[in-house]
Amino acid sequence: MSISLGPDWKTLAAAQKLELPDQSIARLEELGKTMLGLRGMIDWTEEPAQVFQVLEVNEGDAE
Amino acid sequence: MTALEAAAALRARKVSSVELTVQCLAQIEKLNPTLNAFITVTATTALAEARKADEELSRGQDRGPLHGIPVAHKDLLCTNGVRTTSGSKVFSSYIPNFDAAVVERWREAGAVMLGKTGLHEHAYGITSTNPHFGAIRNPWNPECIPGGSSGGSAVAVATGMALLATGSDTGGSIRVPASYCGIAGIKATFGRVSKFGALPLGFTLDHMGPLGRTVRDVAVALQAMAGFDRRDSTSVNRPVPDYLPPEGEISLKGVKIGMPVNFFYEKLDPQVDNAVHFMAYTAQDLGAELVDVRVPDGRQLNTVAQVTLLAEAASVHEPYIRKQRSSYGDDVRTLIDMGRVLPATDYLQAQRLRKRMLGVYQNILKSVDCLLVPSTAIFAPKIGQTEVEIAGSMEDTRLASTKLVRGFNALGLPVVALPAGFSNAGLPVGCQLVGRAWAERALLRIAAALEDRAPHYKRAWQG
Repeated sequence: MSISLGPDWKTLAAAQKLELPDQSIARLEELGKTMLGLRGMIDWTEEPAQVFQVLEVNEGDAE
Repeated sequence: MTALEAAAALRARKVSSVELTVQCLAQIEKLNPTLNAFITVTATTALAEARKADEELSRGQDRGPLHGIPVAHKDLLCTNGVRTTSGSKVFSSYIPNFDAAVVERWREAGAVMLGKTGLHEHAYGITSTNPHFGAIRNPWNPECIPGGSSGGSAVAVATGMALLATGSDTGGSIRVPASYCGIAGIKATFGRVSKFGALPLGFTLDHMGPLGRTVRDVAVALQAMAGFDRRDSTSVNRPVPDYLPPEGEISLKGVKIGMPVNFFYEKLDPQVDNAVHFMAYTAQDLGAELVDVRVPDGRQLNTVAQVTLLAEAASVHEPYIRKQRSSYGDDVRTLIDMGRVLPATDYLQAQRLRKRMLGVYQNILKSVDCLLVPSTAIFAPKIGQTEVEIAGSMEDTRLASTKLVRGFNALGLPVVALPAGFSNAGLPVGCQLVGRAWAERALLRIAAALEDRAPHYKRAWQG
């Protein structure tokens, strides 16, 4: 019996009224497992993505 | 004829832009019914633009190597007054009132637009088997795919329907068709070429770039499209160097070429392996040193790239797929649905991870000038073929086509794709040179040296 470490993709899809083929579910399982395995590489002190910035408005851009 | 040969002939008055354009239009008329490279042909405006180019050149007004050269644009690049479909039903009647940045820049450089080339629906796939506009076919064997998503552009260049073409590369979409059609292409550093006016797919992965018959053609084509554009928030304001490699034999003495000992040369068709190793030994003959390097696990990097793409593409298509679900082809709709169920945390972790992985690759590229790897693990598969046998085991054709290219989109590093040879059955195979960020000039020089010594492009498609 295989134990799933990630989310139940079928249920997640059904919650959004989506039906995914088995091959896609298998691919999502695979991606999810790899992402889980990669957590060790993450530097948790870093910003997760590009920092939100408020840029200066150039003359003419402002409404 | 290459674009640079045509440019020289134009200046020597051996040919006119109108004659070049008529030749390309004749090729399109002859071949497009079979190969399906073009969605839209703009013959009348092309001839008018060619006449204008001839007049300007005869007055001594020279806009550079693209002046008077007939080109084609991938049909996800907005073109003022010309339908831009993205190979989809959703945008089947979209007529923009502006040009994408790369279209605008090539127009300013004097290029003559022949029309718009076909692609995988929304550029989301590598087969270019399009449910709305039909399958684009590989000129070397019309039963095979040309690769994608820039399939139409690659076919147009390989067959002389156009001398240059634009493409976009989100997960290999310039390099895969270049490999399967036997031509060259470049995906420059992320931020080097403006994405303004390109219908997006993965906004942190999309790269615009050129396809051409030779590395030097690609170099001048990149020159004409590179540079800062404030309309694209990811565009980087750095000077654009002269990309055209010098004429004559280029020595590679002092150049270190990294040959990955893991991932990139595992599970390949043996003929691909031989062809790319032949290119490595060619580099060695030219004075380069081949250095064994160990790279991060390619499957992990591909996962990070794919998670990023699934989420970004789902976000891009959200407003359209909700209203026009039935307008999407099965494969693209499924990919978008996969992106819609992916947790947001996975996307954010992928952004953290790609930064870490970029650091690892940048460290490797401190010790070598570039990496030399195959573009695709296989030759062009047949249209509709879902699996391929590699080294005794079966693999998904999409995976075999993308596993060696996809990761470099997540890293944003520059990659030149060039022909590496042919299979016993006469199908092309390509290789990639992966370089340091912003080192396109050095990369193109190495690629040109290899191409001069091993000019596979000279085995031109004969029709």
